[in-house]
Amino acid sequence: MMPSTLVLTMEISALLMARLQFVLSLNFLVLFSALATALGWMLAVMRWQSIRQPESGWLGAYRFWVRVFALATILSLGCAVPVLLELGILWPSLIERIGNVAGPLLALAIVTFFVIKAVFVGVMLFGQKRVSSTGHLFSIIMVALGFTATVFWGVVLQSWTHTPDGATLIDGRYQVLDWAQLVFNAALSWHLLLFVAGAFLTLAFLMIGILAWQGCRRPLEESERLAFQAGFWLAVAAMLVQIWATDGTARLVARYQPATAAAVLGFWEANGQTESMHARWLGRASDGSLIGIEAAASHAPPVRSLYWLARAGLMLAAGMTILLCVLGWCRWRKGRNPSMYPSGVLHVSAWLSWTGAALWLVSWNLVDMGRSPYLVWGTLTQADLLTETDAGLLAAGLLVSFVCYLLLLTGLIKMLRHAARFGVVPVRKPGASA
Amino acid sequence: MIANLAASMGMAIGDPAFWMPLVLMGILFTLTLGGVLFDGFDVGVGLLLRAAPPDERSHMMVILSPWRDANEMWLLLALGLFLAAFPLGWAAVLAHLYLPLGVVMLGVMLRSVAFEFRLRAAGDARVAWINRFWFGSLLTAAGHGLLLSAVVTGYQQDSASIWFSVFVAVCTVAAYALLGSCWIVMRLTGTLQVLAATWARHAIRWTAAGMVALAVALGLANPAIFYKWSNATRLMLAVPLWFVMLLCFVGIDVSLLRATRPKYQHLAWLPFCFCVLLFALLLGGLAYSMFPFIILDNLTIWDAAAALGSLQIVLIITVIGAPVMFLFNLMGYRTLFGRVP
Repeated sequence: MMPSTLVLTMEISALLMARLQFVLSLNFLVLFSALATALGWMLAVMRWQSIRQPESGWLGAYRFWVRVFALATILSLGCAVPVLLELGILWPSLIERIGNVAGPLLALAIVTFFVIKAVFVGVMLFGQKRVSSTGHLFSIIMVALGFTATVFWGVVLQSWTHTPDGATLIDGRYQVLDWAQLVFNAALSWHLLLFVAGAFLTLAFLMIGILAWQGCRRPLEESERLAFQAGFWLAVAAMLVQIWATDGTARLVARYQPATAAAVLGFWEANGQTESMHARWLGRASDGSLIGIEAAASHAPPVRSLYWLARAGLMLAAGMTILLCVLGWCRWRKGRNPSMYPSGVLHVSAWLSWTGAALWLVSWNLVDMGRSPYLVWGTLTQADLLTETDAGLLAAGLLVSFVCYLLLLTGLIKMLRHAARFGVVPVRKPGASA
Repeated sequence: MIANLAASMGMAIGDPAFWMPLVLMGILFTLTLGGVLFDGFDVGVGLLLRAAPPDERSHMMVILSPWRDANEMWLLLALGLFLAAFPLGWAAVLAHLYLPLGVVMLGVMLRSVAFEFRLRAAGDARVAWINRFWFGSLLTAAGHGLLLSAVVTGYQQDSASIWFSVFVAVCTVAAYALLGSCWIVMRLTGTLQVLAATWARHAIRWTAAGMVALAVALGLANPAIFYKWSNATRLMLAVPLWFVMLLCFVGIDVSLLRATRPKYQHLAWLPFCFCVLLFALLLGGLAYSMFPFIILDNLTIWDAAAALGSLQIVLIITVIGAPVMFLFNLMGYRTLFGRVP
């Protein structure tokens, strides 16, 4: 008996290690690519405003936030390498099976990113004085568009793994039947909307938080007041979109992954019920009765994690909404200058800088975990595709990766703090092209 | 020659299923070579940071800066192309490479972030980022060595091959250090140039040892490759190849001895060019040994390729994207052979 139990636990933990490492890498990539993309559009607006009103503080705001953009871009590029390699070293046969679908999509994402980087990012970051202000604005818009396109191809691949339309499994490999159907698969629109909401929430709360932190220490300048207001309105808008996107995604999940929906809502046993308080977000069988968790018997998602993660997300969103209400009230009573707000409010805002990012990661992980134990919904499970590398090595790899990511994250936070406190360190890149 | 190859595969030359994988493999090889050479001197300079006097380290980072943007592109492009064009090869190869590629991936991530963060960090923090860049370079170089040893031994994992892997990893670190220091000799004058010439002459022995070890292991571990090279007609190719490689080593050594003298400053680019030739020959020889297999005697590039429709899309993306990237990066590379003012 002993050896077989031992082998079983080893297998389970190898799977767990691989999943954790993959999720860790994906989370970092998803976080920083969302931040960089949202900042791209925010910077385009700031630069546009600075051209329209040259005397305003918008150029100052642009100068500060373009630094944050550079840091986020560097991190998302750095974090892309592990994700790509892990597609091979953790789930070796995944690409063998979905290569015909994933290959062109990933190639498009990579080439789009590097073309935009080679042509426009240099002008945006280092060429402000060498081109006209319209030319500069144009390059910023192109960067924002390019990043959005890169992310789009990534989201297409992600959503396709949830609703694999337009391709069919022949002899263990997916063959593409219809690219249009594949790209515009059933989950795409809601996953895109969720990304947009998450990206802008991440940015908005970071803006509010950093500016509130500065506001605790000294009176804010005009450019900082403008950025604070922009962050506030962006947060309000993004929160509304987030609610819309969450509802849509929940209904999508109910339709395609009913067991996941039941797990999130804690709907343990259906017993042929046809009505429930939250029937809107539950799957229904063909006879109209609701579907509980028992439906997924052998391929159940991680019920406990989904259940608690969803509740954590709800609490977080509630807290963020309260903060936005308080800030709205302050704005109504005390005006547009956050330096006039009660210092308690500013402190709390500063503490909540990363809640936008946290909410985005919670909602992304809910969607990703909802697909478990599959990597491609309904056909390929994680366990089938797992590498044969032994669990000990995988655990060591996970630990070292974790330390690396932690190092980069603390580095980022230190640099943000330094920039917020003393202003950005000027950068001259010798010979930077154009 | 290509006609023979097509005939042996039972395909016509004009058949897209024949030429598309071949063309894509050609591009992939070019990307890999580009990565080894261009990202290679970058890794090399990173490795030498800890050997250099602390006050020169920033200077070394600064001279890398114009090429960083372009250099970090090679690896991701090569990986993307490999994945997209040869999904079955990707699966078969990467399944055995958790350790080497895990090391490479952390090294590359650390390097690319550390370099850019150092530029933007304030005062004291810069030193820490330089050290992280050095460590990332070390991981990358050692990872490449582990990768190389896994490839030439046909992905065997026994205790003898562990020692072989460690030896190759050390030699690969030396090889990148050689490339990096030859690049410094070409780019700089003064103390750092003299120091770099000394480092290069230390590194060259280890590089040579590593290359011989790789060649021997490649022949011994894979009878098919041994046969391929020792066959009478191929011997005509192999002997000059070895001779040229030997000449390269001698050339690097001799030119390094003189390159730092004021009289020969105009020839300071010679060691670097010999290095480039050496690396290209080594990688070319390895590719020639394996061709047309991705996994030796098991999986050809045609077996490993994606479905025709997907290959077509990948090829179109490459043909459109590559020239744009090439042109714009050329603007970054244009000062490659000049001196730093």
